[in-house]
Amino acid sequence: MNKFFLLFVIFGSFLYAAPIQSDKEFQQAVEKMGKENKLVLMIYSTDDCPECAYMKHKVFHDKAVEPYLTRNFVILEKNIHKSSLPDGYDYFGIPTMFFIDKAGNKKETLVGSKRPQPFLGELRRIRGLK
Amino acid sequence: MKKALALSIILGWVSVSAYDAAHLKKALEEKECIGCDLRGANLSKMDFSGGDFSKSDLSGADVRESIFEMGDFNDCNLSGAKAQGAVFWKASIRGSDLRGLHGKGSNFKGSHLDKSDLSYADMRDAKVWKADFTDAILFKTDFRGSEIGGSKFIRNDLRFANLKNTLLWESRFSDVVMSKAQCAHAQKEEAVFETNVTCR
Repeated sequence: MNKFFLLFVIFGSFLYAAPIQSDKEFQQAVEKMGKENKLVLMIYSTDDCPECAYMKHKVFHDKAVEPYLTRNFVILEKNIHKSSLPDGYDYFGIPTMFFIDKAGNKKETLVGSKRPQPFLGELRRIRGLK
Repeated sequence: MKKALALSIILGWVSVSAYDAAHLKKALEEKECIGCDLRGANLSKMDFSGGDFSKSDLSGADVRESIFEMGDFNDCNLSGAKAQGAVFWKASIRGSDLRGLHGKGSNFKGSHLDKSDLSYADMRDAKVWKADFTDAILFKTDFRGSEIGGSKFIRNDLRFANLKNTLLWESRFSDVVMSKAQCAHAQKEEAVFETNVTCR
């Protein structure tokens, strides 16, 4: 009986999706902001996703994008095969980018890759959202 | 003369829309249909994920904004099909006829298009990440503004394809012929030239 209970607890802990506010990595991202009023950019990716790699290695480091991104956002990456995913953050396609405020409110979701200039436009639009 | 022209237009219309009603019913109910006659059929805005349409004739069919994730379109005829905004994620479309396909804004991410004929296909602004174009015919294929990153091009003649503003990051090219301008664009986009890439 105890074995079954233990198995239930173990598997239950894998299946349980916690809210974003109690996600450790999210908390660390918020801590990183300090008093600054930034947003968390949480990107879902996988190892074998060239679209994700393009965003992470090219677009995020584009000379026009990077300064704005660093000034206004903290990036949090989650590998959908390796990380626990918070409750309420389902995805349809990889990469998916969620923009979340300090309190854990989802402001916007972007699916798929974008070229640097349109992505910068989206960042500016999302930053301006109330 | 006018009568002959009118007749040819009418007959042309009939042949384009002459799908088999039983096949259409099957496709709509079972979300798949193998070896079916679906010429000109309306299959738009529906979810056919995982469906098998292999060996079917979908020429001129309307599949706009439909979802065919992991679909099977091997040995299919999709020539002239209206596929704007359709999703073909990880679909298998091998040895198929996609001539003149209207695929603007469609999504072919992870699809297998090897040995297919995409001559004159409109693939503008399409998402075609990690697709396989081995031995595909790309004569006058319009890829303007599309994202073809991480894709595989093997044994293709790309000289007459329009690659203007295409995203080719980490696409791999082997045994292909390209124009000098295409080669310069691909190199700027950080495409990977593996073996035997001719720029002429």
